[in-house]
Amino acid sequence: MVLCNALTNTFYERVVVNMSNAICQSLRSPIKRLANLRRAYPISTSLVHNETILVKNNDEFVNKVMNSDKPVIVNFHADWCEPCKILTPKLKELIEPLNNLDLAVVDVEDNADLVHTFEVKAVPAVIAIKNGIIVDKFIGLVDADMITGLIDRMAGKKKESA
Amino acid sequence: MAPIDGNFDYDLAVIGGGSGGLACAKEAVNLGAKVAVFDYVTPSPQGTKWGLGGTCVNVGCIPKKLMHQAALLGESIHEAVSYGWEVPRHQDIKINWGSLTESVQNHIKSVNWVTRVDLRDKKIEYINGLGEFKDAHTIIATMKNGSKKELTAKNIVIAVGGRPQYPAIPGAMEYCISSDDIFSLSHPPGKTLVVGAGYIGLECAGFLNSMGYPATVLVRSVPLRGFDQQMARMVTNEMEERGVKFQHKCVPISVEKLESGQLKARWLNTELQEQHEDVFDTVLLATGRYALTKTLNLDAAGVTCITSNGKIAAETEQTNVPNIYAVGDVLEGRPELTPVAIHAGRLLARRMFAAATQQMDYENVATTVFTPLEYGCVGLSEETATAKYGADNLEIYHAYYKPTEFFIPQRNIKNCYLKAVALREAPQKILGLHFVGPVAGEVIQGFAAAIKCGITMEQLMNTVGIHPTVAEEFTRLNITKRSGKDPNPASCCS
Repeated sequence: MVLCNALTNTFYERVVVNMSNAICQSLRSPIKRLANLRRAYPISTSLVHNETILVKNNDEFVNKVMNSDKPVIVNFHADWCEPCKILTPKLKELIEPLNNLDLAVVDVEDNADLVHTFEVKAVPAVIAIKNGIIVDKFIGLVDADMITGLIDRMAGKKKESA
Repeated sequence: MAPIDGNFDYDLAVIGGGSGGLACAKEAVNLGAKVAVFDYVTPSPQGTKWGLGGTCVNVGCIPKKLMHQAALLGESIHEAVSYGWEVPRHQDIKINWGSLTESVQNHIKSVNWVTRVDLRDKKIEYINGLGEFKDAHTIIATMKNGSKKELTAKNIVIAVGGRPQYPAIPGAMEYCISSDDIFSLSHPPGKTLVVGAGYIGLECAGFLNSMGYPATVLVRSVPLRGFDQQMARMVTNEMEERGVKFQHKCVPISVEKLESGQLKARWLNTELQEQHEDVFDTVLLATGRYALTKTLNLDAAGVTCITSNGKIAAETEQTNVPNIYAVGDVLEGRPELTPVAIHAGRLLARRMFAAATQQMDYENVATTVFTPLEYGCVGLSEETATAKYGADNLEIYHAYYKPTEFFIPQRNIKNCYLKAVALREAPQKILGLHFVGPVAGEVIQGFAAAIKCGITMEQLMNTVGIHPTVAEEFTRLNITKRSGKDPNPASCCS
């Protein structure tokens, strides 16, 4: 399944440019409002190889996502978003057991800069980042196949024919 | 201090991030202006607060419509049984207030977020602080942490809106809630006393009653004062038939908290000079709204407002200080409606920044009261038309009607009624349209456009209806009140 079309390619280029600007700015001026941790996400204790990154600020995003050696699936999430309550646990379930792929959850209430940088206009939104570059994305609650397909591609697995 | 050389920080500062203020700010930015918006919500006496977006989004139209919809859905479950749906134990079906408020609040939070994202996207500076005037071009905002933020602007728009009024009776502030609190109330409201029979009071009483929370309404003068009174009676008749209790000509005296935690309310029937009391779980005050101008320090800018209600009289949205304007609920003598504020705000921005000349037309604005049976109207009430033109110069067309979908569940059709207020002289220009029934808002919106175009009774009668709908009833109007003919539909299958 190939997701990239001309439109999304334009999107990537624009985002990558915007992103580097915004991230650079934010590195120069540390953001004032740090996310608080009152909404701690329950993390399953069994069979966790890989803890989900709960992004608290821009610096953390740069360190753990943009500069990560591993590809990262970034899930823009909000507690008030019903579809997010289905998607985020699903992503955790699928990605946490994997050693070669990370999941980062960005609460859109606490990370206005990241929301702006990545032009997130609706949640849930998912972007896939490899070597600091956006390589894929989807918005909304999509088919399970599309999610697993993305994860398989990002984790370097070959997609099994359904 | 405001600069003397005319170099301001912003082209426009808007005080109040509600429907009117935001519409004005966004339009101004689209026209190239540099804009800042101040928005701050002072918690209600019960401690309720909310985010960016103003009354409509947070504690008005939006949550109200959602709760109305919740009430309608509950009724539909019972009707579904008549239509053949097998609903297990439908007699036991009840609302989960916690789930309802959570869903409603989640929707509101999503709108708050989208609004914030949109402002940032449009490069509108959003300042979450309580703004006040320092002078005609300078605003100081007090931020949440107490710090101050000061900026200057060439133009300033006051769009602070209003908040519920609390009657000066013992217990009002301590124990009562208002429309500010009901949509996020942490516990089911239970048996509720609604003080006030304006549209807010009636809508709240209506959805609470439909959800199974017994509601009593204290009516000081008449229900829906300012609306067509014949239509208002249809609305309240329907509510009464569904179990809402009305105490007419009654004003509250006191509310006290009992040991049980319940509230004992006393009221006075002003006609009979009799006192009554009853015990409720919730007392909801809906006795009007005041404009939020007190904290603005208008004097510093030289802006005058009406002392009694804090409202600003501004014919063309321009106050007595030329660079200061006002839009929305803060305006004196204008309909307190979101779309009115949005339209006025947008037009104002075009006049300020695009040399436009179009003024807001406040006439013939349609509205709908979302009571269990809805009431939609546009234009003049029969009373207003009579006062303006004289009964002899008017023709009133009216009809009772039977919505097709009401037959099977045998729903009450007694209050399904509509009328057209028109000039008597041909071609009988229509002055007002009134409709009580299902989806009244959807029905009346299109007709509002027709009224704007100057529709006549001749044209309305020559319009072919869509069958079977409730809106087509307008095209079928043919009985005048003057004729004395029976406005009831034929008994069956018409």
